[in-house]
Amino acid sequence: MSGDVIPVSVLTGFLGSGKTTMLRHLLGQPEFSRTAVIINEFGEVGIDHDLIEASEDSFIELQTGCLCCKIRTDLAQTLQDLLRRRDEGRCVPFERVVIETSGLADPAPILQTLMTDANIAGRLMLGGVVTTVDAVSGAETLVREGISQKQVAVADRIVLTKLDLAGPAKPMLLCRLEALNAGAPVLVADHGRIDPARVFNSGLYDPRTKSTDVNAWLAEEAHGHAHARHDGDIQAYAIVRREPIQAVALTLFLEALAEHCGNDILRLKGIVNIRESPDRPAVIHGVQHVFHAPAWLDRWPSDDRSSRIVFITRRVPRRWAELLLAAIGEEVADVPVGR
Amino acid sequence: MSTPHDPEKHVLDPDRGSEPVFGQDHAAKESPNDLACELLAQSLAAWRVAGNVERASDGALLIGGNAKAIRIERAPPQSMLRWTVTVDGRKRAAISLVAVLRQVREALDPGYTAVRVRIAVAPLVPS
Repeated sequence: MSGDVIPVSVLTGFLGSGKTTMLRHLLGQPEFSRTAVIINEFGEVGIDHDLIEASEDSFIELQTGCLCCKIRTDLAQTLQDLLRRRDEGRCVPFERVVIETSGLADPAPILQTLMTDANIAGRLMLGGVVTTVDAVSGAETLVREGISQKQVAVADRIVLTKLDLAGPAKPMLLCRLEALNAGAPVLVADHGRIDPARVFNSGLYDPRTKSTDVNAWLAEEAHGHAHARHDGDIQAYAIVRREPIQAVALTLFLEALAEHCGNDILRLKGIVNIRESPDRPAVIHGVQHVFHAPAWLDRWPSDDRSSRIVFITRRVPRRWAELLLAAIGEEVADVPVGR
Repeated sequence: MSTPHDPEKHVLDPDRGSEPVFGQDHAAKESPNDLACELLAQSLAAWRVAGNVERASDGALLIGGNAKAIRIERAPPQSMLRWTVTVDGRKRAAISLVAVLRQVREALDPGYTAVRVRIAVAPLVPS
């Protein structure tokens, strides 16, 4: 079992948006019986921990401050410790890890930690980002709190909570969510109750089936939305290219993106038709200036062989990204295509 | 609202950056010089740097902004490098458009610090 890849899901959402209530419900489900939970709270006294009933040996609370600010090392160390305890049989052989962030946390550095720590690479894998949004005050929070916008923007799944208090989701809130992140399905939790399978199986790779689902991962934003969506500073758009892209052009493109706008690339994910590899598309994923090496799929997931790259950015113009890719592609067109 | 496309002169319009001016794959159909010219203009918008880009009669690209005069031209055919960038009379070679962008940004944006791409050690999917 120790050789299995364990998905790590990040549960985020602004203060009071119902993260803990939902997690408490999920941990009561049979599917979540083998889940290790890491809770980060902002402040001296951990409250959320007391609200969740879980096996102590698979439950860890970080109280040294906001997860995104100064304890990335602590998070990596905590994950390593969890893996060691699992390997040594000193805790339940968990099959999933959930990190519940502080309501004030920026999830991007947490994702980067999961991507860049050499000691956990190969054992743990990002299983998706789930963001809770309070239907009562979520719209106002999204206007007022920049960090709330970012939490929604990077999500693979958005979960609306407190609809019992707010009534049906307000169109204004749904519009804002779509503007920030049209690709993420919006689910509903009823007093924290929600189908676990719909919430956390949102990553590129499904360890249970040992397969990838690129189309679901990219979601609908990559399927033909012609216009950029934006909410304030945050924009979501997709670049679609029918012509294959040379590998060197993709490399230069990602380098230039990171170099000039790295901090403003909240998330980038895509499937790319590489000229040198027409039958095996590359899947790319980046968070700010940190990018995974491309993963090469065995085959295209559908007949659509166009490259589709989804951007969620803070004021990175779509036109600039399009031109950058086109100009680099043009410039390297005379470079011999390698195999 | 889209802005009329004028490849001869691009004046920074902060609103234009978020507006798709062309449909998909349109950029790939433009000539390399047009692409470079518009890319530079859009780069100023992306960097939130004031300035303008225009083409000189000899085909060179001229950028004005932040009290700097920048001239960008194709390197001679026998050169290993593709571009020559002259900033306030100081001439430097650039191996690629990406390098041109870096030099232009360094000249126009005093607060600029390049962020280097970092490759994640964790695989995207298990090998």
